[in-house]
Amino acid sequence: MRTVLIVEDEWAIADWLEVLLSENGYNVLSAGNGREALDILHRETPDLLLTDFMMPFLDGAGLVAAMKDNPATRDIPVVVMTSLLESVVRDRVAGYRAYLRKPFREADLMKVVGEILG
Amino acid sequence: MSNEGDRFSTGIPGLDTILGGGVFEGGIYIIQGAPGAGKTILGNQICFAHAAQGHQAFYVTLLAESHARMIGHMRRLEFFDEAAIPDRMSYVGAFKTLEDDGLRGLLEVVRREVRTRKASILVLDGLITVHEKARSDLELKKFIHELQTQAAFSNCTMFLLTSSLDPQTSPPEHTMVDGLIELQTSLHGRRAERELQVHKLRGSWFMGGRHSYRIAAGGVSVFPRIEALLETPSVWDGADGPMVPFGIAGMDKMFGGGIDTHSVTVVLGPSGSGKTTAGLQFLCGGPADQPAMWFGFHENPMALQIKAAALKLPLDARGDSISLLWRPQTEAILDEVATELLTAIKARGVRRLVIDGIDGFAKLTDEKNRVGSFLSALCNELRALGVTTLATAETDHAGITPGQPLAGVNQTGLSAVAENIIALHLAALRSETYRLMSVLKARNRRTDMRMRRFDIVEGGIALEIDQRGAEDILRGLSSQGAPPPPSPDPKLTGE
Repeated sequence: MRTVLIVEDEWAIADWLEVLLSENGYNVLSAGNGREALDILHRETPDLLLTDFMMPFLDGAGLVAAMKDNPATRDIPVVVMTSLLESVVRDRVAGYRAYLRKPFREADLMKVVGEILG
Repeated sequence: MSNEGDRFSTGIPGLDTILGGGVFEGGIYIIQGAPGAGKTILGNQICFAHAAQGHQAFYVTLLAESHARMIGHMRRLEFFDEAAIPDRMSYVGAFKTLEDDGLRGLLEVVRREVRTRKASILVLDGLITVHEKARSDLELKKFIHELQTQAAFSNCTMFLLTSSLDPQTSPPEHTMVDGLIELQTSLHGRRAERELQVHKLRGSWFMGGRHSYRIAAGGVSVFPRIEALLETPSVWDGADGPMVPFGIAGMDKMFGGGIDTHSVTVVLGPSGSGKTTAGLQFLCGGPADQPAMWFGFHENPMALQIKAAALKLPLDARGDSISLLWRPQTEAILDEVATELLTAIKARGVRRLVIDGIDGFAKLTDEKNRVGSFLSALCNELRALGVTTLATAETDHAGITPGQPLAGVNQTGLSAVAENIIALHLAALRSETYRLMSVLKARNRRTDMRMRRFDIVEGGIALEIDQRGAEDILRGLSSQGAPPPPSPDPKLTGE
């Protein structure tokens, strides 16, 4: 079973993503911000990371930068989910695989996840 | 957002005036209101105004709408600036932290984010959730106290947004914060009017009572109550200056050479008596390069231009020196309309003003006891700004009672606002209807108060040179019998 790590500070969105991905056969891990995500990444190696952009303690840009610095996590594909324009993400996040503009539809999410995880 | 000492502007039009100059740096303010009152828009608008000045703003949500939806809604408002996010304005959700780690966890989020982002404004949207999560009043008080400490030491001004609580109880945090602003909606008949009230502001005078606000494309705009704002005029009224021409041949002579520069003249009369014509002549009667303005509730600019052209008055020829403002009364807010008027006058340097239908202001509010003081404050401000004003007001069609030429004209309440009062009458004599004019009042001036007959011709009002024509009509009226007694007219009484 493929594992997806959700990094999202808005609990309602995080809950919705957890349910949705679980129902579609994925194992789901969840973190409320980038700092919590790094803690999880010390002990787990997910197949995909879905991250929000603006979060407390450590935002999406900081999280991805930290992942890219670590050989153990640098190859985990990252999807950035945000209501901001992709140009904002592109300027601040290096090496993300896909971008989802919030609010997105279930089908859009599953399409992106499916394309990355096969 | 401009800084002035340890205070700074909220960036909300009108709010700083009510707050006596903005909020204090490092202070904590509660913004309270029912759902739909506009708290979230107000919070975002304050943040974006701050970010527009190059400062850092930070928006924390608890159980509020999702950031995606919020940003989607804010995008429709003019203050929203996509480029400010995330470097100068950022959003984080902290409900999960509050759920998992309680009030201390939330404090840690605030402390860390304020420090790392160097935020000088923080909005916490959903204080009611903190209230619900707190196990006791003491825990809530400790939370507010620690927040105050953080705000003071980091020089970050905090706005806590919360839904209205039980009005019978005073939440403990109200006694601790530096300011309390309430947003509410009042129903006036079927019409809803938004109102803002500052209940508390530590360390500063503030304008008490309720003030109207509106949420439009530009965000929230607050309109201070005019009679509170202009309790004394904004500038010193020199009350001097030369007499100015009225613009109607013969009128200046009746007034002993013209009217005072700093004066308000009210022209009363029933529909069709010539009030608008008198106003147009007054408007065009000043020096060609002197800024003049028409402000009316009824006729739109096109209708006025057509009327002026029919009368051969040089309205079009005056070009930009005359501006025409039309403000339909539908859903307008009294203080908003007055603010618009005064702002336009100041911006254009208007020296000659016509208010067509001054009684229209009274129709913008259900609070009739406000109208007298409102008009008094407005007219005092116009005088202080050096504006010569002519205002029209409609009376009923009672006509003229022989021997009582002023019957049917209710002037109660006008004395306080007007130096001069002119009455226009319609007199039905057999099958003909005649127009008559009389001066009811001219403050500090020797005035010819004898009635004049007049016609409306090309060029406007043509006033007869003396009273004989008017006397002929009055004699004729006397022989054909008196009209029924006039009904009381409550307009402009302010009662």
